[in-house]
Amino acid sequence: MAVADRRNRGAILALTGPAYLWLTATIFLPLSAMLYCSFLAKSPLVPAPVSYTLRHYEAFVDKSVYQQLMLWSLQMGAIVTICCLVIGYPAALALAKVIKGRWREAMFLMVVLPFWSNALVRTFSWTLVLRPFDLLYSYPAVIVGLVHSYLPYMILTCYISLQAIDDSVIEAARSLGARSGALFRRVVFPMSLPGVLAGSALIFVPAVGSFMEPRILGGAKGATLGMAVEDQFTVTANWPFGAALSFLMLGAVLLICLAVYPAARKRMEGL
Amino acid sequence: MKLGPALLTAHLWLVLAFLYVPIVVMVVLGFNASPLYALPFQFDLVWYRELVGNAKLIDAGIHSVGIAIVNTIIATTFGTMAALAFARYQFRGKTILQLLLFPPVAIPWLVIGTAMLVFFYWIDIKRGLFAILLGHVALSLPYVIVVVGARLATFPRAVEEAAATLGATPFQTFRRVTAPLLAPGVIGGALFAFAVSFDQFVISYFLAPPGVTTLPVEIYGAIRKGFTPEINAISTIIIVVSMGALLLTARFYRFGGER
Amino acid sequence: MSKTNSRITRRRFVAGAGAIGLGAATGVLAAPRIVRAEGKITVLNWQGYGTDEAWAVEAFKKATGIEVVHDYFNSEPEMITKLRTNPGAYDVVLTNSAWNGVASGEELIQAIDTSQIKHFADLNPSLRDSALLAKDGKVYGVSWVWGMTAIAYNTEKFNPAPDSVEVLWDAKNAKRVSVRDDAVEAVSYGAIATGQDMNHPKDIEKVKAKLLELKPQIATLWSSEDEWNKLFQSGTFDVSVYWSGSAARSKTNYKLPVGYMVPKEGGIGWFDGLAVASNAPNNSGAHEFINYMVDPTFYVEWATKVGAPASANPKANDQLPAEDVGRQIHSDQAAIKRLQFMAPLTDEERQTFSDLWTEVKAEFAK
Repeated sequence: MAVADRRNRGAILALTGPAYLWLTATIFLPLSAMLYCSFLAKSPLVPAPVSYTLRHYEAFVDKSVYQQLMLWSLQMGAIVTICCLVIGYPAALALAKVIKGRWREAMFLMVVLPFWSNALVRTFSWTLVLRPFDLLYSYPAVIVGLVHSYLPYMILTCYISLQAIDDSVIEAARSLGARSGALFRRVVFPMSLPGVLAGSALIFVPAVGSFMEPRILGGAKGATLGMAVEDQFTVTANWPFGAALSFLMLGAVLLICLAVYPAARKRMEGL
Repeated sequence: MKLGPALLTAHLWLVLAFLYVPIVVMVVLGFNASPLYALPFQFDLVWYRELVGNAKLIDAGIHSVGIAIVNTIIATTFGTMAALAFARYQFRGKTILQLLLFPPVAIPWLVIGTAMLVFFYWIDIKRGLFAILLGHVALSLPYVIVVVGARLATFPRAVEEAAATLGATPFQTFRRVTAPLLAPGVIGGALFAFAVSFDQFVISYFLAPPGVTTLPVEIYGAIRKGFTPEINAISTIIIVVSMGALLLTARFYRFGGER
Repeated sequence: MSKTNSRITRRRFVAGAGAIGLGAATGVLAAPRIVRAEGKITVLNWQGYGTDEAWAVEAFKKATGIEVVHDYFNSEPEMITKLRTNPGAYDVVLTNSAWNGVASGEELIQAIDTSQIKHFADLNPSLRDSALLAKDGKVYGVSWVWGMTAIAYNTEKFNPAPDSVEVLWDAKNAKRVSVRDDAVEAVSYGAIATGQDMNHPKDIEKVKAKLLELKPQIATLWSSEDEWNKLFQSGTFDVSVYWSGSAARSKTNYKLPVGYMVPKEGGIGWFDGLAVASNAPNNSGAHEFINYMVDPTFYVEWATKVGAPASANPKANDQLPAEDVGRQIHSDQAAIKRLQFMAPLTDEERQTFSDLWTEVKAEFAK
């Protein structure tokens, strides 16, 4: 990897500029305003003098229900991610290394297609499928719905990584006497780790904040932090509190990902 | 030796079956007469007939597709560029930039939507298709950057270096070595970008001017007002059209990967 | 990038944030629309709630030449926010009686010129002259429809019909009950079931305890009429808290076996008023539209064709056929006496109710 110096700086700016300028104008600046809003005593639109407070963050500490919801949401995100990994990785492996030719293409397209159907319609269809089996309005139903929504993410990212592993590397290892088990553990899986991590991050982070599927599939059992955030905007019009909860959620997710990353990095570095 | 691949293939078929359960249900019920999705099943094309007359829903579908396509082009381009920078260079602030990819994906859309609306109004960006596009690209970028980044990380960089030692210029290396190897990652990113935009509801709700809606917004409104199988009908059409588009593209690009 | 950041001073934040809104406003940002064309009004209402009926809009246009354009909200806070942040965008706004005071207090709506409302004198006096729709002796909302939120039950499963709110808590009905996912409504019923004032319950802990007892009863929570219909039809629940006009619709249009009753302990009453927004571009058009909305010809067609809550105009109600389900539900005088009507709540009260309901829902999910 090249270290930045005067020559490269131009390239770096040119490459990252467009994306990050766009993100700044459309996400970072607005979210900064929201962060600021979370320290206001009243919603910014109420005609009252401006005053600042920490009480929205304190409310999270004082009221155990919000901590409980946070924990549940993080748990739900983790379970969904792990399920997607366990189910999706072998599928990606099959697609990348076992299936060949036209079949591979056809199946790849088939994996991608449900990706593009509307999430609400899909979730609603799940209610119709689960109800006759009495599985609706339960925690497992929520997990099924979320895993179904996010599975293509994992399959796609793992596939992209696995497919990059040159067959010749595998052949070489085999010819040196490696058996399938060791081959997978020591060569294939570590090399595909970037795909695994990418998929996990892209699933865990949004899954934690989900509230639509929990609501539709879980009914009364589908309480999440996302639901509480929603209530602050549609019932109480307490934007500062909703914003505070959202940033606390962001903080928690960041902490978890930062905790996992170094361990994963070490394995990848062994390449 | 033979058991492993066979098991994996069987697993893949099971996964596909799982992925298609609600899709099949959705398609089938688009042909069911009951407006309340009640069984027993009675074949009827009434919802497709209703759909033909439902200009609003069709318009919404067209808007969604149009926005998604433009979004995909922009997000994939900018995202790939950023991913390349992360993979090729080490620089101060790189970690911060990578961490900044979390907020768009982590913060609930309701909060982002509200924040965007407020901010756009302030800097005088009027609600409309352009504002919606701004929002969609912003939400798609992290996905593209992460997916392309993952591909780049698994990349046999030795091939690039080999090409260089053999005398290829950076441009030639890029065109003939990097780009084809990168392609699946870029395509993957593009698929994500399209999915994120096409299914995006909250941002579109906040930033859409009256008279302009997208399909997810219409569907959400229909859920409150009366969700009939017309929604299934248009969803089925979208799936069929998407399948067609993907198959068409497959003629020119082998999704399964090359060599 | 740093230049942009430094411009964000505190005052700009507040000033900017104070000028902004939630949701899409009709027409406000279309550049040419600085002077609103005569012959057009913009209505802000729930989607599918009478004012946007295609036939009504067309009839109105034929009669007056005024075109009606709609913008919608999905919650009352959203309605208020849209008013706050899009001045001059709306003409007619639907305000629930509990929210009209909020809007008039912030001068988001203006006094109604009742002389322009032909049918004003016909309206039911207790609604028409309600203090909730007035300010400083002036009328700020024309009462339009009223209804109840009470108990709907499956007539095939309940024989004889239930008459007490305890039917929701009856162990015989475990996993067959539903309530709406709405903090205010849930707390209100908790208060009614514990014999308290639903708007300002004195013993809020008692309300919470009562609601927690619903845990074994709840099949699921519903949040829209359409969802209610689908769940009821599939037998997911057999008894629930539900709106009166919607019950009439479910029975008439979807032929569902719906029975409706106001418990002897009490029920929720509510009424909606149509208001004129401050700085309405088409003030006279707004008044004409409101007049059309309380006209019996509009109401009768709406109620019989689609289904509606009760009209604030008794003359309109009287013109409904005797077997009309809505009419039967809304003419039960004894039931009406048992209703507690929704009143305005302070932000603190609303937050308390919301926190309480969040805690109850978290318990339900355990």
